[in-house]
Amino acid sequence: MQQAIVECKNLTHYYGKRCIYENLNFEIPKGRILGLLGKNGTGKTTTINILNGYLQPRSGECLMFGESSANLSPETKQKVGLLIEGHVQYSFMNISEIEKFYSAFYPKWRKDAYYELMKLLKIDPKQKISRMSCGQRSQVALGLILAQDPELLILDDFSMGLDPGYRMLFVDYLSEYAKAENKTVFVTSHIIQDMERLIDDCLIMDYGRIVMQKPVSELLESFKRYRFTCEKPELLDNSNHIYNSVSIKGKTELYSLLSKNELEKLLSGNVKVTNSIQEESLSLEEAFIGLTGKY
Amino acid sequence: MIRALLFKEWKKTKWFAIGAFIAGVILLTYLFLKLGRSFRMVGLEHLWDVIVNRDQFLFRDLKFFPPAVGFCLALAQFVPEMVQKRIKLSLHLPLSNRKIVFTMLGFGMTLLMIIFAMHLLILLTFSGIYFPVEITASMIYTLLPWYIAGLAAYAMMSWICLEPSWKRRIFNTLIMFASLQLFYLTDFPGAYSFVVVSVVIIPFYVLPFGYFSVQRFKVGIQD
Repeated sequence: MQQAIVECKNLTHYYGKRCIYENLNFEIPKGRILGLLGKNGTGKTTTINILNGYLQPRSGECLMFGESSANLSPETKQKVGLLIEGHVQYSFMNISEIEKFYSAFYPKWRKDAYYELMKLLKIDPKQKISRMSCGQRSQVALGLILAQDPELLILDDFSMGLDPGYRMLFVDYLSEYAKAENKTVFVTSHIIQDMERLIDDCLIMDYGRIVMQKPVSELLESFKRYRFTCEKPELLDNSNHIYNSVSIKGKTELYSLLSKNELEKLLSGNVKVTNSIQEESLSLEEAFIGLTGKY
Repeated sequence: MIRALLFKEWKKTKWFAIGAFIAGVILLTYLFLKLGRSFRMVGLEHLWDVIVNRDQFLFRDLKFFPPAVGFCLALAQFVPEMVQKRIKLSLHLPLSNRKIVFTMLGFGMTLLMIIFAMHLLILLTFSGIYFPVEITASMIYTLLPWYIAGLAAYAMMSWICLEPSWKRRIFNTLIMFASLQLFYLTDFPGAYSFVVVSVVIIPFYVLPFGYFSVQRFKVGIQD
């Protein structure tokens, strides 16, 4: 097991009386790309805020490079690249000013990495960020992170407001960079199909809890959708290795980590399957829906 | 790093600073022209009588200009930081949060003092030409509380802008207006002569409040 760059231990947070999560635990080992997946309002940005020290959890703690995230030293902040939701940057600067500004803070600054990405945008270096489109701003924010050359990248909902072309450009650049340079990445997004091409491990959250935490390959290998017809679908128990079973007019669909044989054994006694069970492999997006439900 | 941080603050406030300086010069020019007109219309003897015997202050129109400049500078500097919670970017810079916040506040305070010093220099040069030293000195003591009120207005408006909770912002605004009253208790020329040194302390005393608001932002306080 690689050394953990980020460790979150027993995080519990509430907004007023609303529980966001209780006892959330996860680690991000060095060189891994972890995707935090969840529907809107499940606590993705809350987790990012706690991780960056912009929110004090009700209890528990987050460590980054072994330091409490509530009080990061300048040396640790230098090792962390942060992308804020909506690709927020200093919009009153133009693209060359912002590059100069940040270069003063980071000793390993890679001006070329930034300008290589800026070339793709084909915009004047004097153009203000406030006059750019959301897609262009996302590339500026990404370019700045790549130039900073941090050890850990934290990206909050990077796909927000981006068209498919910019999303793909962002994912391709980030994925290539992170893998080539052995960077650790913590990323959230609600567009799951982008994540499938990017992340190694996934942490899937639902309201108030973690539903699954696994390497993506392992999840897609083991998590399947099954379809069959049965006589007593009402006897299917969603808590017993079965996720989100839905039955319409005798046709049943459910998701499970069990193999087909294991599922057949489980269902043999009570629900009375009347045809052979069909097994289907899933994309990450389908697996996400299977784990968290459509609503 | 500090230089880069100062550059960022300058980028936000440059046009406001130039505008405030020009507005001040226009206001002073207007006051000088008005005074020159009075010289010609009513004569110097009458003006002397108004200033010395009736204790009238000729630059009363300047009264609320410094706090207005202070308010606007704080807005120009800190609204862009609070919109979209951009201050997260600033706090993520590899410096201590204390250094980041106090550099930002220190920049604003210094910029304001430069603008005010230039205005006062113009005013006192004009006064030195036309009035004796005693009147100029009395003028300084009358103007100083108003200009210090400008610094206090900046410090307190920064505190309000950086505060993450709207409820607390309203409370802070009430505190600000109550505190600024201290600088406007009387217009009587030279009334603040004996307390001006204590009044100077106020803006520097309230300046760190902005840092406390940032600390509240850091722990996630919101409405």
